Amino acid sequence: MNDYIDRFNTRERVLHWFVTITFFTLLLSALGLYSRLFTGYFNLFGGGQKAIIIHKVAGVLFFISSLVLFIHNRRRTTDFNKDDMEWFRYLGGYLSRKEIHLKVGKFNAGQKLFGVFIGVATILLGITGIFIWWPLAFPRWIVQLSLLVHGLLFVSSIMFVVVHVYLGTIGNPGTLEAMLWGKVSRAWAKKHHPKWYKEVTGE
Amino acid sequence: MNDTRKGFLIDTSRCIGCRSCQVACKQWNKLEADKPGKERVGGDAQLTANLYNRIHFMERTIGAGVTWAFFSERCMHCGDAGCIKVCPSPGALYRTREGIIAYNKEKCISCKYCVSACPFNIPRYGEDDKVAKCNLCQDRVAGGLQPACAKACPTGAISFGNRSELIAKAKAAKKTLYGEKDLDGLGVVYALEGPPSVYGLPASPSIPLSIFLWKDVVKPLGILGFWGSIGAMLLHYVTVGPKRPEHENGHGEEHHE
Ligand code: HEM
Ligand code: SF4
Ligand code: SF4
Repeated sequence: MNDYIDRFNTRERVLHWFVTITFFTLLLSALGLYSRLFTGYFNLFGGGQKAIIIHKVAGVLFFISSLVLFIHNRRRTTDFNKDDMEWFRYLGGYLSRKEIHLKVGKFNAGQKLFGVFIGVATILLGITGIFIWWPLAFPRWIVQLSLLVHGLLFVSSIMFVVVHVYLGTIGNPGTLEAMLWGKVSRAWAKKHHPKWYKEVTGE
Repeated sequence: MNDTRKGFLIDTSRCIGCRSCQVACKQWNKLEADKPGKERVGGDAQLTANLYNRIHFMERTIGAGVTWAFFSERCMHCGDAGCIKVCPSPGALYRTREGIIAYNKEKCISCKYCVSACPFNIPRYGEDDKVAKCNLCQDRVAGGLQPACAKACPTGAISFGNRSELIAKAKAAKKTLYGEKDLDGLGVVYALEGPPSVYGLPASPSIPLSIFLWKDVVKPLGILGFWGSIGAMLLHYVTVGPKRPEHENGHGEEHHE
């Protein structure tokens, strides 16, 4: 009997890491624009003007890839159900060491929320980004509002991603493998995603 | 504000609309002529990257008659300047000892944030895609000279000097002033003959709300939120700790984390 089960196929993994690379390129190229405290980060790109160009290119790549990831996952991330409400009530059991048993499918309610948030944020960051790209072509109030919304989504997605990275790595040992080589251990699957485990193994 | 602050006092009642200041500004700052059609005369006249100072001609009906109101539009050299607040490139926009909001095109990274942040819609972009606006003849002022516009004005409508002295003098002459206190005091104070709206000026100018929320609320809270979320994750790791899969009889691997 095989100890491991497939979780993400190659296409899904490559797409995920493509989104991740474009995300962090966007993050780094934007830091200098976000605050003069971070002007030094412009040097990574050879100056502010070049950082802006990189930000625009990475923005287009992130927009497309993140949207594809969202559309790919949409059925499993937008179907919030009763079990998800239960998950939110206990915050997935993350607030204590006590073992609790929640009915979780392929994605838990927190992952669904993250997936939907990043999807919506991607669309809004893209739209506001267009206005900021050509500020002279649009009414001033639209550009002003876009700068605010773009900044707000920038920091909130980073905060979501910090939590996401923690839970995908040291917070849940055995999880990173799912995105690295695509497989997870049966023990991991039974513990974190029992409903999904039943679905794929029939056990 | 300290007393080294210099400023203009523009008395609209003395302006005869001769545009001497406009011409002198163009000449001193070596600004090209705009292509015909770009530079429009009348109510919808606009500043351009080659025009830092423009006299607006505004027709007003008073009773049965019509009169002209002349108004010189230019960068206000705000005490609390929206353009500086948002500019991400240190040294691209900066304040001098005299309170001039000066700029250095070489440092400008063409983000155009200053366009959105200016309460008076002043900064412009030309072919070089760099910020352009009145620099208050920074070089002349540093050399102890009057700015070109003030020097050229034949009627004394534009005076330049110590800001508080100019204001005191205008007040003694019972003028209604615009810009004395707004935005920590404008570097260009007007003595107007009617309500600001007649001149196309906002009654109480302020940094646009979205821009204020962006730079003074979201920015600091965002930095706090970033470190807060990292701190929260570390705290979680050392208190509740990671969730490890249970060992399964037969097919659970050993965990050594
Ligand atoms: C170093 C950075 C990152 C690491 C280590 C990481 C890790 C992971 C892991 C291990 C999974 C699989 C979780 C599971 O098996 O249930 C995952 C899923 C996912 N990741 Fe990432 N990730 C990173 C960055 C990002 C970024 C920047 C984004 C998007 C902006 C992103 C979006 C997603 C999405 C949408 C999923 C699907 C499940 C969900 O909605 O949570 N990831 N990631
Ligand atoms: S008027 Fe506009 S460009 Fe001039 S100092 Fe004020 S904010 Fe800056
Ligand atoms: S366009 Fe230039 S001057 Fe204006 S905010 Fe950006 S870097 Fe500063």
